Amino acid sequence: MATVLGKKKTVRINGCVAAAQAAKYADVDVIAAYPIRPYTATMMALAQMVANGELDAEYIVADSEHSQLSIAHGASSSGARVFTGSSGVGVHFAFELYSPISGSRMPVQMMIADRTLDPPGDFGSEHTDALATRDMGWLMGWSCDAQEAFDNHLMGYRIGEDPRVLLPQMVCQDGFFVSHITSEVDLPDPGQVKEFLPPYKHPYPLDPRHPVSHGPQIMPEQGPPLQLERARAMEGSMPVIEEIHEEFAKIFGRRYDPWIEEFMTDDADVVFFLQGAHAVTGRYAIRHMRERGAKVGLVRLRTFRPYPTDRVREVLSKFKVVGVIETNMGLGSVSSGGSLYAEVCGALYESDRRPLVHSFMAGMGGEAIVLKEFYWMTQKMLEAQKRGKIEKRTHWVGFED
Amino acid sequence: MPAIEVQRQMLPLLNSPNQGARFYNPDLPETEPFVPGHRTCAGCGPSIQYRMTSKASGDNTILVGPTGCMYVANSSYLCTPYNVPWAHTQIGSAGSFTAGVAAAYEAMIRKGKWKGAYPNIICEAGDGSASDIGLASISGALYRNHDCLIICYDNEQYANTGIQASSRTPYGGMTTFSPPGPMIPEAKKLFPKDLARMMAAGHPHCYVATASVGYPIDLMNKVRKGLNHKGAAYLMVYTPCQKGFVYETPRSIDLGRLVVECGLYPMWEWNPEQREFDYSFRPASMRPVSEYLKLQGRFGHLQAEHIATLQRFANQQWHMMGVELPEPLIRAADAKNLAAMASAEAAAVVAQTV
Repeated sequence: MATVLGKKKTVRINGCVAAAQAAKYADVDVIAAYPIRPYTATMMALAQMVANGELDAEYIVADSEHSQLSIAHGASSSGARVFTGSSGVGVHFAFELYSPISGSRMPVQMMIADRTLDPPGDFGSEHTDALATRDMGWLMGWSCDAQEAFDNHLMGYRIGEDPRVLLPQMVCQDGFFVSHITSEVDLPDPGQVKEFLPPYKHPYPLDPRHPVSHGPQIMPEQGPPLQLERARAMEGSMPVIEEIHEEFAKIFGRRYDPWIEEFMTDDADVVFFLQGAHAVTGRYAIRHMRERGAKVGLVRLRTFRPYPTDRVREVLSKFKVVGVIETNMGLGSVSSGGSLYAEVCGALYESDRRPLVHSFMAGMGGEAIVLKEFYWMTQKMLEAQKRGKIEKRTHWVGFED
Repeated sequence: MPAIEVQRQMLPLLNSPNQGARFYNPDLPETEPFVPGHRTCAGCGPSIQYRMTSKASGDNTILVGPTGCMYVANSSYLCTPYNVPWAHTQIGSAGSFTAGVAAAYEAMIRKGKWKGAYPNIICEAGDGSASDIGLASISGALYRNHDCLIICYDNEQYANTGIQASSRTPYGGMTTFSPPGPMIPEAKKLFPKDLARMMAAGHPHCYVATASVGYPIDLMNKVRKGLNHKGAAYLMVYTPCQKGFVYETPRSIDLGRLVVECGLYPMWEWNPEQREFDYSFRPASMRPVSEYLKLQGRFGHLQAEHIATLQRFANQQWHMMGVELPEPLIRAADAKNLAAMASAEAAAVVAQTV
């Protein structure tokens, strides 16, 4: 049995299945599954592919998310290409493993379909699950639709496994808004994938013919150089990420800016800054507001780690007001809203033309951000622009007039 | 491309006239996957076990070391004692990391990405990892039947962190988390988790056995049986800890025999084909538990009634093994026939001053 890939075609699938398809096209060797909504559908799709004989992989139903990530770590350390994933509290049950995996420089790939933590633990999407792991040395970014999810998974493997990078990747998509919304996805020709994604080859796997020791006990004075090396790997991934996005565009014909997508920002005064699926509603709302003469645009961050500080500064310095749509909890944080605000303001600190910045707590609990709320937030930004200062740092959208 | 069949190793069993030649045995493999120069204590039971185990498995081996004393004391950065691939994993990841290595080799060999015979994949988990924090991960690996051997090197405590009680610490055992005192004169009140039998009962398709560093050839043969068994195997090995048990350094192997001879560590195998326990192992002699206890400082506080409690526990184990109890052991289970440890009174005085 070997993995079987069909001809290039367009299919109607949701984000979960798109992620599973990408894992199949990447011909993964080991899959570590554990059920939690909403990402479960990805593992269901992969289980069926293995059962059908379309994908030759070891499909392991783990006993917990902690075990999922340990299985992924062990398999990746042995030289296998690995796929795993989770949502919500499951992402956190595995938390211990994130630093060891990036520290041993194993390019494990993890699919995340965001879900709120407990409470409220509802099935809706909040980015807090993945964002809480943001400083663990994983490459991380959000897709806003199924096609982009498929593409990000393929690019994730290529970037993470690049010998200049060797870092694990969290390929995130909003639960339900992407994971369970069906849309058209172009599945590539197997030849294109073969050209783009060479087989995984770690330089120092656990191989009895070339014995190595992974992860020995480290004395305090030996720690700093190892930490610096990991930090450099993260920094050093930035040119590789750009190079690989360029190559992806050449081979597959879909071009993404690796860091930031701008929508109707050319002459904009005020812009939204967000990640993930709410950008889709946002674009619609902006078109509508543009028709009414508001100079509003949208900036969508595509890669959160490594964080494109300079790019964020350059882009956002063009505007008068920035409204950060959080979709995450940063309890007691800088803005007392979400954690994205501090990332934005940190990037803008060195700018000589700092815009005003709002933190908008919207989409919390996985609620959709409806058009009316986009209009309301735009109104707040326009008022701030007129006034020359913000009314207050953080707005809980839907709780104020 | 058709799937490539996975070739597996078959290791021959060693001959031993008495289930445990004590010193040199001409059959011993020459290979040393675990070399000297590490930082374990003199007489360290777990590292003696490590050497025997890896000798038995040979060079086509991958070792997995969850956090524990065999991680911290062995694997100093840039200076590890392993001549075969070795990887650290988290203390709760013993079974899962090992499962990942096993799954990777199954897939890579089948898909033609790695060529060679399937390696011996061995996890060396301490009893804290195996009986507490990593229990579910090990159970998962056994249940899913990955072709690997999971060893619990059982020194009956968390030794790496400075001697704390695990669920394998025996009744009466003093640790820093189970000290004796006026309110709790016996120190640890709970009996150890019957870990190996739990693994055999819950995963009957696996080869499961108990062993002791006191019987090296028996230990090495059980390692080889576990590795030859296609699927998961589990071995729990008594490995005394000089620091935690507080005994004279040269007595490690003696304790490894005494613990079996006094019935506190029954030696058995679970046969997965016949689905039954093999209790035929018989030590050369049977002794009262006091002979084992009196060599160790961790039991120095025990009163006669506590020793009798442990003797009753040992007698139950003999009963389980199908052994007829001799009269002296029945008498030794009654506190009237026993004396407190010589230092018990002194220990009580010290405890009052704390």
